[in-house]
Amino acid sequence: MLSILRKFGKFLSSLRLTIVLLALAMVLIFVATISQVELGIHEVQLRFFRSWVAWWDVMPGDKKLSLPMPGGTLLGLLLIINLLAAHGARFKLRWNKAGMIVIHSGILIMLLSEILTGILGKEAQMPIDEGETKNYSVFQREVELVIIEPDSNGLETVTAIPQSRLRDGAEFPMEGFTVKILSFFRNSEIVPESEATEEFEKTRATTGLGKPFAVRGTPRETQADRRDLSTAFVEIIPKDGKSQGRWLLSNALKTEENFNVTGKTWKMTIRQRRLYHPFSIKLLDFSHDRYLGTNVPKNFSSKIRIINPETGENREDLIYMNHPLRYGGLTFYQSGFDNNDSTSILQVVRNPVWTLPYISCAMVGFGLLWVFSQHLLKALSRRNRSTSVES
Amino acid sequence: MKILRKIAAWLVPTLCLIFVASAVFRARAPEKGFHFKDFATLPVVSNGRVQPLDSLARNALLSIVGKQRVPGDNAPQSPSEWLAELSFRPEVADERKIFLIHHDEILGLTGLTRDEEKTYSYSQLQPSFDAIQPEARRIGAKEPQTWSPYEKALMRLTRNLGLYNGLKHTLAHPGQNQAEAEFTLFLSNIDGALVEAEKKNNGQSFNEDAIASAAARMRSILEWAPLTDIYAVPSGDTVDDWRKLPDSLIDAIDADGLLPATLAYARIGDAYRANDPVAFNSAVSEYTQWLSEKWPERLAKGSSETLFNRVAPFYLSMVLYVVAFLCAILSWLKQGATLRQAAFRTLIIGFILHTAGLVIRMMLEGRPPVTNLYSSAVFIGWGAIVLSIAIEAFYRNGIGTAVAAVVGFSTLLIAHHLSLSGDTLEMMRAVLDTNFWLATHVVVITLGYSATFLAGTIAIVYLIRRIFGSIPKSTAASFRGMVYGVICFATLTSFVGTVLGGIWADQSWGRFWGWDPKENGALLIVIWNAIILHARWGGFIKDRGMMVLAIFGNIVTSWSWFGTNMLGIGLHSYGFTDSAFFWLSAFIVSQLLLMALGFIPERQNKGTVKV
Repeated sequence: MLSILRKFGKFLSSLRLTIVLLALAMVLIFVATISQVELGIHEVQLRFFRSWVAWWDVMPGDKKLSLPMPGGTLLGLLLIINLLAAHGARFKLRWNKAGMIVIHSGILIMLLSEILTGILGKEAQMPIDEGETKNYSVFQREVELVIIEPDSNGLETVTAIPQSRLRDGAEFPMEGFTVKILSFFRNSEIVPESEATEEFEKTRATTGLGKPFAVRGTPRETQADRRDLSTAFVEIIPKDGKSQGRWLLSNALKTEENFNVTGKTWKMTIRQRRLYHPFSIKLLDFSHDRYLGTNVPKNFSSKIRIINPETGENREDLIYMNHPLRYGGLTFYQSGFDNNDSTSILQVVRNPVWTLPYISCAMVGFGLLWVFSQHLLKALSRRNRSTSVES
Repeated sequence: MKILRKIAAWLVPTLCLIFVASAVFRARAPEKGFHFKDFATLPVVSNGRVQPLDSLARNALLSIVGKQRVPGDNAPQSPSEWLAELSFRPEVADERKIFLIHHDEILGLTGLTRDEEKTYSYSQLQPSFDAIQPEARRIGAKEPQTWSPYEKALMRLTRNLGLYNGLKHTLAHPGQNQAEAEFTLFLSNIDGALVEAEKKNNGQSFNEDAIASAAARMRSILEWAPLTDIYAVPSGDTVDDWRKLPDSLIDAIDADGLLPATLAYARIGDAYRANDPVAFNSAVSEYTQWLSEKWPERLAKGSSETLFNRVAPFYLSMVLYVVAFLCAILSWLKQGATLRQAAFRTLIIGFILHTAGLVIRMMLEGRPPVTNLYSSAVFIGWGAIVLSIAIEAFYRNGIGTAVAAVVGFSTLLIAHHLSLSGDTLEMMRAVLDTNFWLATHVVVITLGYSATFLAGTIAIVYLIRRIFGSIPKSTAASFRGMVYGVICFATLTSFVGTVLGGIWADQSWGRFWGWDPKENGALLIVIWNAIILHARWGGFIKDRGMMVLAIFGNIVTSWSWFGTNMLGIGLHSYGFTDSAFFWLSAFIVSQLLLMALGFIPERQNKGTVKV
């Protein structure tokens, strides 16, 4: 038994395992790269890098053939174990080993930072018009169904149901009524009734603005710059049990639907999931210059005002390419523009471990430099010795 | 004997120096007749940057014909001469067969018959514009990824026709044969019409015709402006202050007469049409004089860029690298030390030119060395040669020189083909507009490419030499040392370069790593080099194994360099007609074959077989 354990320990710490794991990582990265053409970058990240087992569609399409391979999470963890085991088994604190230890600690930090970024990081966007003030960002790849209860003071109480809970047949009891999801399409095509073909759902809305439309589910969007059009048929059933009708809600329709229960007018809609901030941002001016006689962008920049009621801050700042604004644990980047240059799109990122790669890079860089310059010095002295022997 | 050897070792390098000097001399030699060389240096704004007419003409020819020379008998001798002809005597230029058409379907569409050169003139193509335009509109509406080879070729032809037409309308209007007279007439007509209009407003009697003819002239000027994208007339201190020639005529209405540049181009054109070299030269030199007083830096930039184009230092380096390579190879067969020295010295001359070209490009652009795919090719070669020179100085056996020459020549050849796509000194998109990251991340990662290619090339030399007989122990040891050292350097630079790229991405998009194709490609190089080093340390591979793996590094690097870019334009869009894809595939196959050489068992020298 002990010998098996020892053998296993030896295997875990072996260089052979390192090489096999690195080779598998290369295969995974290569396959993930070419799969991006079919799947888009987000799907690839989930399927190949943030997974234990990655399924590669060798032949996408009708004659589907998928091969399993170790996913990024599995390979990452095995590499960490292998690295720790190797250093544990052969650990000797000597000056000539110090370089290697520094390099490998740096790599360990890098692997950890990638895993932590996946868990802790958030990426949202803030599309903002000139003159507009916003206190939230939106997630482009996620929607939420919101029920809005207005009160007499003009304030609104918002109940948001996240996308993960929007399933066919799901029911959400509210005060005085129930929201029932009849069907939900993560991505969909919405066409006027007259253009609907056989492939479209038979279900239609009985009330609201969505009445004249037909819907069908479609695969998720793979292009990074397009978002899914999520759609749901929703029923509102008051306490008395009589349905108020069937609505079609979608983030493709920009308006909110109204319904009356418990003596109040409620509103509901499907929209991109929001990330609220404790401060507001006002876009004062967006500018976008092109090189003379071309369409090549020279620069774009957003002049903004940060208004934070908590700290009393109220100041201007300029966000432009390669010069983001770091504020309140978030970073705002100039990402794009829309509506004939009157809308600026800011990328909003939260990544608490953003410093780790910097540390890791410095460690590995210096470590490699240290180790390789030792090699070089050795080679030089060997040559000098041999030339002195010759002469 | 010793002295003879010394002389011999200097003979080849000296001949090379003479070759280079004569090329520079020819580029600067004054001309008889029309001074097209001076005309070539005149600055305009195209593609968002100030550039000399010389570059404009060269890049247009590269895009249209695929070379910097007009084909055919009696053709203009230089690109700028061709530009003068196209601008001022378009009826002659339109007859020159310069449009390259390979695709049979396009010939079918245009009703042309295949001829040997596959080149056709603008006037041959003109009758088919009605057939080409709707096709181009149809294709333009589709995603470029889905274009078939025919559709790509048609769009290319459409773009080239547009480019040609734009050039034709940059310095003159094809319909005006007496530009100076017509420009002046236009201004006086407008002045006259304004007086008449004033009378009309006051209810006095007025000349109807004067207003109508001025309006007609105005209309033709207004219709002229959209036909070109090139700004020929400087009218202020920033790039955005440049004006198109027709717009400068409109400006002249409110100013006191024509701007100096407008007048200059009118006179230059009139003199060219009148076949009057004296007038042509004096108009060019008057304008040059005016420019040198007003904006000397623009003229200086135009002149240095023109000289750079004419001397073509990268082309000269390529020739020298071939010579150096041959000398190095011969040095292994015979006359070891003498030829080896000659090879090394020739390499150094080529390298100095290579460096000079790189530095001039950097100065013209005001940027670090690598700004686009073209300059990455130039820099990969340069970096590999720096490393090889260090190796040669260390080992002194000709191997460093030979591989330097091979890598230098191949990368410059690749650069030449990349330059066919247009202006290589193009402006940087907003996101890349940061000299700090271009100087750190891009330079370091490109050095990583250099080193990985260099290790692979040394390994190839090793495996090929092995076929011709067993390599002496000491030489084998130096091969091992070289490849190992270069791989160490490659690991360092590709790692640091990749991570710096991540840090740049963190600074500008808020994510350190996004698994995008180019990032993945860079990571593959790092991991591959790490695999070689670990396999070596673990004793899993010996010399031969390391060489075979190092050659695979070439494949990994070429994938990262080019393959990932092809993904961007769609994995399924190109067939084997897409030449970059073809050459990448061919390169990969060739590397696999070379790797297979490593599996041939060691050849025994007959003498050393058991006695």
